[in-house]
Amino acid sequence: MLKNAFLMLISLAIAIGGGGASVWYALKIQDGVGAIRIGQWTAFPDIGTPAADPYSKARVAREGVLALGRAEGLSFVAENDAAGDQLKRECTYRIEGGFPTARFWTLYAADQSLGVVETGKSRLAALQSYEVLRQSDNSVIISVSHHPMPGNWLLTDGSGRMYFVLTFYDTPIASSTGLSDVALPRIVRLGCDA
Amino acid sequence: MHSLRATLRRLLHAVLLGLVGAGIVHIIVLLLVPEFSERDAWSRLSMASDLYRMNRLDAEAGGAPVVKSVDPLFYATACRFDLDEGMVRIKAPGNVPFWSVSVYDRNGHNVYSFNDHTATDGKLDAVVLTPAQMIDVRRDLPEDLQGAVFVEAPIGEGIFVIRSFVPDESWKQIVSRFLDQSSCELQDF
Repeated sequence: MLKNAFLMLISLAIAIGGGGASVWYALKIQDGVGAIRIGQWTAFPDIGTPAADPYSKARVAREGVLALGRAEGLSFVAENDAAGDQLKRECTYRIEGGFPTARFWTLYAADQSLGVVETGKSRLAALQSYEVLRQSDNSVIISVSHHPMPGNWLLTDGSGRMYFVLTFYDTPIASSTGLSDVALPRIVRLGCDA
Repeated sequence: MHSLRATLRRLLHAVLLGLVGAGIVHIIVLLLVPEFSERDAWSRLSMASDLYRMNRLDAEAGGAPVVKSVDPLFYATACRFDLDEGMVRIKAPGNVPFWSVSVYDRNGHNVYSFNDHTATDGKLDAVVLTPAQMIDVRRDLPEDLQGAVFVEAPIGEGIFVIRSFVPDESWKQIVSRFLDQSSCELQDF
């Protein structure tokens, strides 16, 4: 009798503990269901729409997100560089390449919660397309560093993990058919502060 | 020997049952999270202000932002409304480099969005209403609603968000004023 009760307790513990923990874990990891990956960049075009999957819906409810609409824009997040290593705030990166069609785009360095990195200075850790210098083929080279850099400089500060968030506003790629042949810039690590 | 094997088999049985149960619990919890979340956008906004009251989402207005407005180069403002009480009209005066608007339902799902290219002369003047209210309005369109963008949304409670681009330091004041002067009102009809 006691043995039966014990076995039932094991079953219940696995069911409730495992079920709860697996939901928590699924909502915590950055990429999940419904992600579209282009190079190092990840986007969730369906997040925040009624057509989203249950995981995205739960994430929206838990984090109080108000996601960008299709007519507003589409955000891409990068957590690795081209070599597959995690982005670090103490490192210097070069972001280079062409950008897809949009009215304008913004790029910023973000911390774990995807808020902008605090620089402690009046210069934001953010750039936008109206202020960048372009190459003759219309591509853009951006240097991301603690230290001033020539050309387009994205200031970062601190240490630890970093993410890049690239958002295109009023863009045809936000409709999912446009996403198939989009090319996004590469992220190359140049070096790190000791 | 025989009883040990029987015990092991029953233990295995219990563990398997637990794993199947975990799958069921996983699905149930996942579907219940949106229903019971007290951290969703609506709940956060309702703690900060009343219905039909514009509420800045960026840190510029002072204090921690209510709902995280993601892009640091954007300012945003939001108001909650309830279409069961009547249709709601949102207006903002002035010209800014870019604005966009989203209508969310009670669960924070984006049901409609548009930007300044959609509006007449780039002026933000929008009315959110239910399909039933739309039929009434179509019958006899008031003079002052002629230039407005009508957003037909089959929802009750909802959230309206205006986002505006701040290209550089010099635009901060102008964009701030644009959002602070925006209004969110129950429209009599």
